[in-house]
This record gives sequence, structure tokens and C-alpha cells, in this order.
Amino acid sequence: MDIPLVEPGTVGPCPVAPDALQGIVRQQTNPARWNGEGWPGFVAELRTAGVDVAESASARGIFATDAGGTAYGMPHGVVVARSAAQVAVLLRAAQAHRVPVTARGGGLTTEGESVAYGGVLLDMTGMSRVLTIDRAAMTVRTEAGIYWHGLAEELRREGLDYLSAPLNMTSSVGGTLGVGGIDVNSARLGCSADQAIALQVVTPTGEIVECSDSENAELFQRVILGYGQFGVITEATLKIRPYTPLSMHYYYYSTLREAIDDLQLLDRNDASDYSGILTIMDCAVNLLVAFDSAEREAAFKANWEKQLRGHGEFGFALCMVGHYARRPWRLGEALYLLKRKQAVFPEFRRPEFHRDGRMDDRTVVFSRAVWKHWGSRNMVIPDLATTADKFVEAVERGNAVCRKYFRHYTLYCVGIKLRADHAAHYEMSCIPPGAEGWAYGCEFEPMIEGEVYSRDHFQSFKNAIYDIGVDMGASYYRFGGMMKGYIRRVFGDALVDRHLAMKRKADPAMILNRDVIF
Amino acid sequence: MYSSAHPREYPACSGCSLCRLVCPMWRARRDPRYSPEGIAKARQNGAEAAELAEVLDACTLCGACDPVCPEDIALTDMIVDLRRELELPPDLAVLQVGYQQAAADASAAPAGALLLPGAALHADAGLLARVEALLGLRAAQDDGADLAVALEIGGDIDPVRKRRFLAGLEGRSLVVGDGLLLRWLRRELPGARLQGLGQVLGNLPAIRRRIASADFYVIEARAYHADQPRLVAHYDALRKETGCAINLDLQRIAVPPRASGYPGLRMGPSAEDLAQAGWMLHGRQPARVLVENPAERDLLRRVAGVPVLHLAELADA
Ligand code: SF4
Ligand code: SF4
Repeated sequence: MDIPLVEPGTVGPCPVAPDALQGIVRQQTNPARWNGEGWPGFVAELRTAGVDVAESASARGIFATDAGGTAYGMPHGVVVARSAAQVAVLLRAAQAHRVPVTARGGGLTTEGESVAYGGVLLDMTGMSRVLTIDRAAMTVRTEAGIYWHGLAEELRREGLDYLSAPLNMTSSVGGTLGVGGIDVNSARLGCSADQAIALQVVTPTGEIVECSDSENAELFQRVILGYGQFGVITEATLKIRPYTPLSMHYYYYSTLREAIDDLQLLDRNDASDYSGILTIMDCAVNLLVAFDSAEREAAFKANWEKQLRGHGEFGFALCMVGHYARRPWRLGEALYLLKRKQAVFPEFRRPEFHRDGRMDDRTVVFSRAVWKHWGSRNMVIPDLATTADKFVEAVERGNAVCRKYFRHYTLYCVGIKLRADHAAHYEMSCIPPGAEGWAYGCEFEPMIEGEVYSRDHFQSFKNAIYDIGVDMGASYYRFGGMMKGYIRRVFGDALVDRHLAMKRKADPAMILNRDVIF
Repeated sequence: MYSSAHPREYPACSGCSLCRLVCPMWRARRDPRYSPEGIAKARQNGAEAAELAEVLDACTLCGACDPVCPEDIALTDMIVDLRRELELPPDLAVLQVGYQQAAADASAAPAGALLLPGAALHADAGLLARVEALLGLRAAQDDGADLAVALEIGGDIDPVRKRRFLAGLEGRSLVVGDGLLLRWLRRELPGARLQGLGQVLGNLPAIRRRIASADFYVIEARAYHADQPRLVAHYDALRKETGCAINLDLQRIAVPPRASGYPGLRMGPSAEDLAQAGWMLHGRQPARVLVENPAERDLLRRVAGVPVLHLAELADA
């Protein structure tokens, strides 16, 4: 490709070229800051329209980084979203003054996608109210800045629940619908984005549009899993279901391959309501299997449990003792596993979150554990999303990369049931091309544990994982932000150019979430 | 966890936002500045107390943020420390002087186990007498109400006053009505047997057997959050035994009915308080609301539409 040089901070002819992040030399992971031209006029226009813009360092500093903590940027100002009309005013002014707008929900990105490198940060959590619950239709209409946890709090009082959401209490509905959202029931119910029935979207040029598969379907297809490129989701209608606590079972494996085989066996046969793999490196591999009802659990026990090759906790402990007794030089690893188990396991079994042996709320349990035992100043979580048949290879190759770069790490693997009628939604998303029935995703998360790694080290690690994806024809969940140099390599020029043309049409000044993809 | 440094202070905030989920100040305003995260991040960006005055004033000191912070940051301590740098709110300074005078005039506490009722209960003589009778305890005339105000507004505590107050309590069994004072006493008197008034009343058979499955039970947030890992089991047992609903959220954090600063000191609910109390009861249809904290009765009466009783009123309800 012949890509002319452009001034740092300006949008070049191809925003997803391999060198698209026009950053500071060597610090390739931070885009340069927007130069602020047009800001005073933009702010004046907003204030005239009654929109509050906070410009103090303390207000802006709340958003200086995201959950990844490796990308840093300061917006020129912050607007807390209050209504679709207000967001529309903001986007129209942003187009006119060419001011970048970064929409942010829970800020749980890791590649700087929700970090504003200048311009205005639009904090969607200001729009976080549940609007209506329709029991007859089993749907909820909610403002999209709501945290899934906030939605759960409200639904639970009515004996209801959402279908699936990320296992993190501070993910927002809008942010999740824009990227996918994976739960441990996604192998059965699909990604969180698939439960959206209709959306209210403010387009980059400031129109407020209702869309669904039957109304403004093209916009709906682009906004769902669209990484915030084609509009700001302000309201969402989602499917809901009756609430049930779940009964959880854990099976332990000493190889990834067996655990993945068993995970896919369960998914193919609809043998469980929830399934996923969580590991401590590749030594302690935990397949979790859970059920909403006693009937489903009984059917699993009768038909499938004996086919699983995993052990119970005690059996696994015996295997481990045998394994490390034959490899005394790996005693350090054994001690780490033991220490980690002692710290983490009780979190998953805290009595206040269980009633009569059933887990009350999986997101509370997992999210607490994740923040307490996985969270750290820097988090890089590169991932690979593949078709079912390529998954074992992808995980094993990614695991080898983790072993090379970090002493300790965790893998998290889940299946995602695909909807044939949503093929258009999945275009240029984490769903890998060619996937049918299920896609599988694996997150590779190093345990930082107080150690200090350079951003270059993190970046090399992520590149090594993502190179596997290019090689295998996979996709990624986190391909935006600092990883957008992979977009053309993994999706191909034809698809990317088609989306870029749509983006240019929808967002003439290219102002909305510009450091995410385009 | 972000770092293993101690003490756990604002630099350790990773911005996870978990504290926002439980913060009534944030819920009422949906503005990130009005949250513990907002305060910690503002401090990380060099903000001084004066710049944060409005936010600091809005905090209810309900303590809900402390147990949920995965970084174990002492968030309410952070807020009170910042309040210390602000000018004392004049109305509350006057209130504190009044309590100081009352403490100076108080007669010595009776021997043995003691009730420190707190200002709200002290202000309701009939209810106080009922609580004393139920517990078989006498209330101390000097129950540290001035100290509770100082703890709330971040005022200085005169060391002589502190010594005198604590000396009178050393080695006793104490039932404490004020959640902030209870938390402070736990630190100052690690060897004392200290219990919150709500917990003690809830354990009395005469009260417990009158709590019904149709009741909505409102835990006093400050006392609960100061000892949440232990008390969560107490309230779970109460729920199981009586079948009542409790103001605990999915994280087992108590939803406080107020959302504006200095609850119980400044009387008269704000619009934020009414919205927060409404949210607490949203989606519930109780026959009665039961409160541990008498200062919350009036507010809840305005939004509940059903009888609101203090636990002590249950004994002969
Ligand atoms: S004490 Fe309560 S009101 Fe104050 S910051 Fe913490 S949660 Fe919010
Ligand atoms: S919970 Fe703690 S670490 Fe997380 S945002 Fe709040 S103060 Fe910061």
C-alpha cells in the first residue's frame, strides 16, 4: 500500500493502515493528542445549548486511562450524557467543529479504546436508568450507559434477569453491545449483543434513530458489534428471562486439550446451561459447568458427566502431587498453584453469595474475584477468536506465547453460539469469518502481581498472540485501539475498505471514537 | 490488585468503578465526580479539598464503598480527612458545641454494660426509654454525640475530651447507636465488647419473632459496613429465619436511604434523599418497613406508603 505521510494528530487517508496510530516515536501504543483546534467554539456552542462541559483536571483525570492502564490520554473536556437529545446536540457540534468524541461506558477496554486523546469524552454512565420492564414480552428498555450490574439489581427485584453479560459488574450495556459481550452461558445464548432487540442510536451527525432487525436494519447491523463507529447507543431493548440461581460444578484437568474437547462436547450437545474454562497457566485447568434447573443438572449427570475426563478437587490434588513429585525442579510452580488456589477458591465459594448450595449471582462472584485477584495497574488481555475446529491449536499456540513472556498467567475460554440470522451483525467483529454454529474465544491474561513490565514488552506479547490470529485466519475481541494495526491484516482490504467507506459517509468529519478503529 | 503498598490510599485507585455501583451520592447524581472513584482520581490529578468541597459535602459517609473496593482503600477515611481541610459547616459547628456542652454537664455513666444511644435516639425520649427497657441497659448521658459530629465533619477531637470519654468506657460491654462512633470505638477500644444497636435489638427474641416475611428491614448502613464481613452472616440468618426482605443489594451491601451529606445532622430530606429512599423501596411491596436507625423513620414515612417502625416499636406492635 502506498500511504502518504501525514501530520501527527490528523486523520490520514487510511485510518487503519499498519502505521495508523500516529503516535510518538517508540511509544507506539499511544496515539498523539488532538491539537485542540475548534475546541473553544465547540464548548461555546454546547454551553449555549445548555450542555455542561467539565474542563477541570480533576474531572478529566477520572478518564485518563482505561482498565488496561497502558494507554493514557486526557480529553479537553467531559460531558456526562443525560439524554439522546443532548448527545445529538453534542455530535452535531462536534461535526461542525471537527472535535473528536470518545464515548465511554464502563471504561473496561484494555487497548485505550475508551481513552480520549483530546477532544470531548462523553461519559455514558450518566444515562443509566431502567425505563420499562415488559413482563409479557419479557423485555427491558434501558438507557444504555447502565452497568449490567445496575440492570441486574433492578431486574432481580422483579424476579427477572438478563440473558448474558460480561462477568464484570462495571461493563456497560451500550459498550457491550458495541463489541459483543461474552458470558459463561454464551455457548447456549450467544453473545450479549445478540440479546438486543432494538436500539435508540444517535448517529455521528446527530440524528436520533430507532433501529432493529426490522427498522433501519442497516444501522442496527453496523452499530451492534460496531465498536462505536456508527453511532452512540443511548437506549436498548433487551431480552430478559426469569431469574434462577445456578448450581455450579468444577472439573479439573491437567491438559488444555482435554478440557477444550470436553467443553466443546458439552456445547455441541447442549448438555449444560453454562460452560467455560478458567486456568492457572496450563497446569490447573478448570472446566466450570453450571445449571439453571435441577432437571438440566440431572440430565447432565445421567448422560454427560461420566464422559468428562476432568477430576474432582481431591482427585486433581492427587494428580498434581504425582505430577510434581516426578518433577521436583518445578516445585516453585507447584507452590504458586497452591498459593493461588488458597487465595482464589474461597472467593468463588463465599457463603453470602450462595443459598442452599446454589450461586446467587455469577457476575458478582466472578467480578469480585477478577478485580481482587486478577486486577492490576496494567492489564493486557489479548485474545483469539476462532472456529470450533481451530480452537485447540489457537489456545495451545497462545499458551506457548504466554509461557515465553510471563511467569504466571490465566486463560479464559468460552464458546459463543452464533445466530445464522445475525451474520450481518458479525461482519468485521470478533466473530471469525467462516464460523458456523459456534465461535470460540480465549483470553490470555498475564498475572502482573506487582512486577513491572515495559509497555514494549506488553506490546510484543500482544503482537505475538495476534500474529497467531493472522496466521490461523482467526479474529479478536480487542482489535481496536492500540491493536488496530491488525485490522487490515486479519479482515482483508476489501472488507475494511467497504466499512471505511460506510464510516466516511456516516461520520463525515470522522469524529466519533476515532482512535478505536477508523 | 493494583499495588501492595500500605496504607491503602487514593494513589492505589485503579478506576475499576466498583464503588460507584454502591454509592448513593453517585446514584442520585450519575456524575462520576460524585463518587469515591471521582474523589480518588481527582486527588491523583492534584485536586485539593477546596476544589472538591461540593462532592465532599454530598457524601453520606454510609461506608458502602469501603468493603467493595478491591484495592482496600480506606475511602471514608479519605473523605473525612479531606473534610478536615474544609471550613466547618457553621450549622454543624454550632450543633457540635451544643453536644460538647451537654457532655460536659453529663453525670457519670452507671457501672456495667452501657448503651450509647446516639443523637437521634437521644432526641426521642419515649423510644429511648423503650430501648433501655428492652435491653435492660441504662443510656449514658454522655454518649459521645459531639465526637460523632466531629467524626462526621472531620473536626478535631480534643485529646483531653477523647481521653475522658474513652476512660469511662474502657473494659465495658457497649451497645452503640451511632454507626460512625461505633466504627471509631472499634479502633480506639480494640479490647471492648462493642455491638451495634440494630444488631442487638434484632437478636432479642421479643423483637425477632415479630419480624414478618412481609416486612422490609432497613439495616443502618454505617454500622453494617464498618463490620460487613462479619455482619453479613448475621443478616443472612435473620432473613432466613424471618423471611423478611432486607435492604441488601446483590453484593450484600446495604442500600442507604439517604444520598446527601450529613444525614441525621441536617434534618429535612433533600430531593436526592427522597429519590434514594424511593429507589431502595422500588419494586418492593412490604406491609411494613422496619428501621434500625430512628433518624431514617421520617424520611421513609414520606416515601413508603406503609407503616414505618423502629425495631424497638415492634416489641409491642
Ligand atoms: S461513604 Fe457512601 S456516599 Fe460516601 S462515597 Fe462512600 S458510598 Fe458514596
Ligand atoms: S473501588 Fe476502589 S479502586 Fe475501584 S474505583 Fe473505587 S476507589 Fe478506585
